[in-house]
Amino acid sequence: MSLAEEHTQTGGDSRLSQSAAHVKRNRRAYLLIAPAALFLVAVVGYPILETFRLSLYRSPADSTIETFVGLQHYVDILNSDIFYRLLWQTGRWVAVGVAGKTLLGLLIAVHLKGDIRGRKFFRTAFLIPWGIPYAISAVVFRWIEHPQFGYLNAILLKLGVIEQGIGILGNPDIAWLGVVVADIWIGTPFMAIIFLAGLQSIPQDLYEAAAIDGAERWHQFRYITLPQLKSVILMATLLSTIWTFVSFDTIWTMTGGGPISTTATLVIHIYQVGLQNGHLGLGAAYSVIGFLLLLLFAIVYLRVYTRGGEEL
Amino acid sequence: MTMAGHDEGGLRRVRVYGMLIALLGIMMFPFYAMFSSTFKPESEIFSAPATLVPSQLSLGAYVDVWTQTDVLLWIANSFVISLGTVVLTLLLAIPAAYSCARNDFVGKRTFLLAVLVVQMFAPVVLIVGLFDVISRLGLFNTYLAVIVPAAAFTLPFNIWMLYGYFKTVPVELEESARIDGASQLQVLTKIVLPLTKPALVASITYTFLYAWNRLLFVLTFLTDSGKYNIPRGVFSMVGALQTDWRMMLTVSVIGIIPLLVLFAFLEQYIVAGMTAGAVKE
Repeated sequence: MSLAEEHTQTGGDSRLSQSAAHVKRNRRAYLLIAPAALFLVAVVGYPILETFRLSLYRSPADSTIETFVGLQHYVDILNSDIFYRLLWQTGRWVAVGVAGKTLLGLLIAVHLKGDIRGRKFFRTAFLIPWGIPYAISAVVFRWIEHPQFGYLNAILLKLGVIEQGIGILGNPDIAWLGVVVADIWIGTPFMAIIFLAGLQSIPQDLYEAAAIDGAERWHQFRYITLPQLKSVILMATLLSTIWTFVSFDTIWTMTGGGPISTTATLVIHIYQVGLQNGHLGLGAAYSVIGFLLLLLFAIVYLRVYTRGGEEL
Repeated sequence: MTMAGHDEGGLRRVRVYGMLIALLGIMMFPFYAMFSSTFKPESEIFSAPATLVPSQLSLGAYVDVWTQTDVLLWIANSFVISLGTVVLTLLLAIPAAYSCARNDFVGKRTFLLAVLVVQMFAPVVLIVGLFDVISRLGLFNTYLAVIVPAAAFTLPFNIWMLYGYFKTVPVELEESARIDGASQLQVLTKIVLPLTKPALVASITYTFLYAWNRLLFVLTFLTDSGKYNIPRGVFSMVGALQTDWRMMLTVSVIGIIPLLVLFAFLEQYIVAGMTAGAVKE
């Protein structure tokens, strides 16, 4: 199924002969989308506007009185060191997370592609990490990385890599890596499944022709698989970028943004400032900055999506 | 030459399966760590360094979880939230998707694109504004405080998914039923929905999982511990001053069992739903 398939009805013709039946049909069409549209306006559209409005006010945690402060929050944010640290921490979180998910997903997909016995079993097994609560994955990784009782330390000790247990999540230098590993684990199955579907739609004769020409496996991957998979990879990494950017549950459960805020991303900070500390206005201003970044991703995504003359 | 080719094929097989098993081992390791820890006797789970294989199997943790935590209540709440979200989402998504698949109207393209953009607006960047909406509607500490936002954020996927499938049902089928005197609602429930069963199953599974797995809404809008779902319950056990890892991991295992069952039966639908959006055929 293709989401970008063009619709075949011709809007222009029907508008010329606007019969009574057509008007009635149109009215029914609007009636049917109205509940969903109104619901989205109320639950998503309104909060967007409310966030913009709140970002112009100061609303301290201990008071219900709002004071209009204009763009002051934005000025404060852009002049604060925290903001740039958050951008850096969010950037590395997204870059390493998406790269890890993409590479691991590709690796799984290319090995599942061929004539594999028990493919359904493998596919289901590889899919499971995606489908369980992030909070549960997060506590399991916390347990694996536990400084005293964790399995990771036990393995590293056994292999002689380390001489005594290390506390990854308590160490400000490497805690974010301890969290990003969990995030990669959670996000890899989606990539693997999408890439597998993409790989299976590559015409087999391309490989056969290459094999006759004596192309090596790496060359086949480099000159057939990758170019054929380009649009799928682009789409999947864009989606993954968005999801990684906004991922909350995993970080919140593993570290709550700590130690000393080194695992906090922009969205973690939004939650801490806006809801935990109750500074709705400042939190809203951070959210608006988050919107703008998301919007940037969304525009790129939609451009890629509707590129090449394809209509919705 | 053919022999050499054959050997090469065999070698390649060994390499592919070896790689798959290694990758599977990596991806399954956290489950192994979780499951094996819960079967260790209490003294062993808190011994350093960890034993990779339990020295003896104990069901003590499961007995303790059953008698000392609210795990059953959390599972029940998860079901209420997930089923509520599924019902609300489908009630909104089916008419909208059907309308878009069957009619051509001014603003359809805008509607569908706007829905796609909603998918980008992750709940967490909206949480401050959502907080305001939920409190104004007086929904705090009700299941609806979680169901309403969860439905909003699963709606885009559902509308697009069903829209794509509804378009594949031949209009002629519906027209002949209409001539036979069926109402439009009957056409939808008796002809269109049965023909698009795979899409419906994918929609329901996706929505159910989404609502089952989310922590954020429950964390923010439900402070009444009697309404916690599984992720929130697990989270509350980490938040405690002294985390009881043994109990928490056991609750986690119990919390994912319904999902494992779901996966075993509905894997193909889940995959169909996941790939629908991102791969063009």
